[in-house]
Amino acid sequence: MIRKALLMIFMLSVATTFHLTMPLSVSAKEVTISYSDWQLAQDIWGRSLREAIAEFERLNPGIKVESEPVALAQRDVKFTTAIRAGAGPDVFALDANPVKQYIKEGWVKDLTPFIEKEGGKQWLSDFYPFCLMPVTEDGKVYGIPKNVVAMVIVYNSQLFREAGIKSTPKNWKEFRDVCKKLTKATKPGGPVDQWGVAFVLAKACFDLRFSVVLRGFGGDFLTPDWKHSALNTPEAKEAFNYVVDLILKDKVMPPGVTQVDCNEARRLLAFKKTTMKIGTMWSITEVSGFNPDLHGWEVLEMFPVPQKEGVKSKIRSTLYQKSIFMNPNTKHPEAAWKLMKFLTDKKQMEKWFVDNNMLSCRKSVNDTYGPILQSKYASVVKKEIENAAFLPLIPQWPECLETFRQNLQAAIAKQKTADQALKDAHNQIEAILARK
Amino acid sequence: MLTTKSRQFWPGNNIGEEEGAFPLLKRYKAHESKDSIMRIHDRYKCYFFILPAFLLLVSILGFPAIAAVLQSFNLVWVSKPSFTLSSYGRLLYDIEFLTSLLNTFIFVFTTVSFHLLIGLGAALLLNMEIKRRHFFRVIAILPWTVPDVIGGLIWKFIFDTLPGFVNAVLIRGGFLVEPIDWLGRPHLAFSCFIFAEIWRGYPFAMLILLAGLQAIPRQQYEAGAIDGASPLQNFLYITLPNLKYMFIIAMILDTIWECRLFGMVYSMTGGGPGYASQVLSLLTYKHYFQFFNTSYAASIAVVLAMVMLIISIPYLRMTMRREI
Repeated sequence: MIRKALLMIFMLSVATTFHLTMPLSVSAKEVTISYSDWQLAQDIWGRSLREAIAEFERLNPGIKVESEPVALAQRDVKFTTAIRAGAGPDVFALDANPVKQYIKEGWVKDLTPFIEKEGGKQWLSDFYPFCLMPVTEDGKVYGIPKNVVAMVIVYNSQLFREAGIKSTPKNWKEFRDVCKKLTKATKPGGPVDQWGVAFVLAKACFDLRFSVVLRGFGGDFLTPDWKHSALNTPEAKEAFNYVVDLILKDKVMPPGVTQVDCNEARRLLAFKKTTMKIGTMWSITEVSGFNPDLHGWEVLEMFPVPQKEGVKSKIRSTLYQKSIFMNPNTKHPEAAWKLMKFLTDKKQMEKWFVDNNMLSCRKSVNDTYGPILQSKYASVVKKEIENAAFLPLIPQWPECLETFRQNLQAAIAKQKTADQALKDAHNQIEAILARK
Repeated sequence: MLTTKSRQFWPGNNIGEEEGAFPLLKRYKAHESKDSIMRIHDRYKCYFFILPAFLLLVSILGFPAIAAVLQSFNLVWVSKPSFTLSSYGRLLYDIEFLTSLLNTFIFVFTTVSFHLLIGLGAALLLNMEIKRRHFFRVIAILPWTVPDVIGGLIWKFIFDTLPGFVNAVLIRGGFLVEPIDWLGRPHLAFSCFIFAEIWRGYPFAMLILLAGLQAIPRQQYEAGAIDGASPLQNFLYITLPNLKYMFIIAMILDTIWECRLFGMVYSMTGGGPGYASQVLSLLTYKHYFQFFNTSYAASIAVVLAMVMLIISIPYLRMTMRREI
C-alpha cells in the first residue's frame, strides 16, 4: 500500500515537473522578434534580406523573425510613434541622418553591454572608426554599422563616347561643359530630349546628392563644429549660384527638375533622358532594374565628384551609412542581439555586396573579398570614401536641410534671387541652431 | 391627478387610521415625491446608457486632443518635460507658419466655394428627370471615392513636366512648344493642387445639396407654376431659400474637411516648390515626424483645431437648436 502510494507520488511529481517545464521549452522555441527595414519593401534588396533572415532562422531554430517592410518616407513616422507607445520592431535599420535624434530621445537601446560581452573594443576593431561615429554617443554604442558608401558621379559611357567626350570632368567648369555637350535633341530638328544631368531636388534623397556640389566647391552646410551655418561663405555662394545657373541659364537639366527625386533621376538615366547623375554603388542595380535593355552593368561607369581647382579641403563627397539598431522596448534583447550580429557579420556583408553591390563597414570585407577587389565600381567608391564625410550628425539636421532645400527651390522657381535665397537659408538655419 | 389605477400601485396601500386628517393629500404627496424620484432616475438612466459610447469617444477623441494640448506646452512625450509657452510665441514670427496659414485660408476658401458651386450645379442636373439618372449619380460621386493620397498621385502624374498628360496633350495639339513646369512654379503648383482638390471634393457638397433638393415639397413649385414663375424665379425664390441650411451644413463640414486635408498636398506637391503650396496640416506633419519638434507641431495642431472649432460653432448651434 505504502509502495503504491509512493509510486503514485513519484509519478505525479514527474508528470508535474514535465508539465511545468514543457511550456518553458516550447516558449524557448517560440521566441519571435521583428525586423523592420525600408529595403524590405524594395524588390532586389528585400529578396536579399529575406534570404538572410531565412538563413538566420535556420541557424537559430529557437528564434523566428518577422519581417516588417516600411516605406522609407514613412519609416520615422512608424518607428517613432510605435517606440513612444512602448511597441515597435525589435530590430530596425536606419541611415545616419536621424540617428542622433533617436539616441537623444531614447528610441534606441544602448548596446555597450552586449558589445562588452563579445569582446568590447576588440570586437569593434574590424569596423572603420568613422563608421562608429554616427552610432556612438558619450562612449556608448547604440547601433552596429552595416554598409557604407561615398557619393560619386554615375554616367552613361556610351552617350559620352557618342558625344565625343574622351575624359571625365575633374572640376566643375569641365562638368558644366560636358553637360552642355550632352544636352541636345536626339532627333534632328526636334525638341531637346536629352539632358546632361538631373540633380535630385525633391525631398527624397536630396541630402546626399546636393551636399557633394557644396563640398566640391570647398563649402558646406554647417561649420565643422556643426554649431553655425556655413552658407554665408563665398564657396557656398558659388556652389549655390552654379546649380541655379545650370538649371535656369544653361538648361542642362530636364524641365521639372525640382520634382526629381532619386527614383526619377534613376529612371531618367535608365531611359537615356539624362547622361549623368549623382549616385553610388546602388545606382547600378537600381538603374539596370528600371531598364534592363540599357545593359547598365556594361555602359554605366563612375567618376569621383568634381572639385573646384585650388580648393584645399580634402572633403568633396558625402558618406552614406546604414546601421542596425535595437528597440529599447524589446522583450527579447538576446535574440535581437543575435540577429544584429548575424546581419552585420562578415559573411552577410559579402552576400550584401554580391546581391546589392554595396560596400561594408567592416574593413576585412572591403579589403579582402575578391569580388569587391575586382569591381570597377568598388574601386572608385572605396577611394572616394577617403574624401567623404558624414552630413552633420545633430538632431536639428533634418530641419536645417529642409530649410536649405526650400530656399534652393524658391531660387529655381524665381520666387527669390539666388543671393536672397541663400541669405534666407543661412539666417533660418542660424535660428534653428540657436534654438535649444 | 390620482387615478384608481395609480392608487393600486402605491406601496403601503393599507392606508389606515394613523393617517389622521387629510389622508388623501398625504398619500398624494408621498406618491408625488416617489414619482419625482423615479422621474429623476429616468432622466439619468439615459446617461447610463450612453456612458459606454461616451467613454469610448473620450478615450479615442479626447485623449489625443488633451495630449496634443499638453504636448504643445512641452509637458508630455518629451525627454525633459517643462511648462513653456515658447511654441506659441514662435508661431507669431515663423514666416513658414504664417505663409502656411495664409495658404490654408486661400486653399480652403477657394476649394469650398467651388465645391458649393459645382456641387449645386451637379445636384440640380442630377435632380432632373433624366434617363439613367442613377448611373450619372454614380459617375458624379466617383472622385469622392478616390483616397486623397491616390488622388494626389494621379494629379501629380497628370501635371508632370515630362511624361505628364496635360503637357503631352498641349504639345501634340500645337498649343505649346516646350513643356510647362506645372508643379515647379509657385502659383501654378498651388493652383494645380487647388484644382485637383476641387475635382476630388465636390461630390460631398453635391450629395448634401441633392438631399436638400429632394426634400423640397413639390407643391411649392406647383404654386410657383400657377403664379407664372419662370425657372429662374423658381430657383431664386423656392430652391435657394429651401437649400439654405443644407448650404450651411455643406459649407461648414467641407471647410473643416479641407482645413485638415493632408494626403493630397503631401503626395502631389509636398508643399513645394519652396513652401508655396504648403498648408498647416503638412507643416504639422513635417515638424512632428521629420524634424521631431513635437511641441511646436502640437501648437500648430492646436491653433488649427481652434480655427476649426470657431468655424463649426454655427453648425453646432444649428444642430442643438434643431432648426433643421
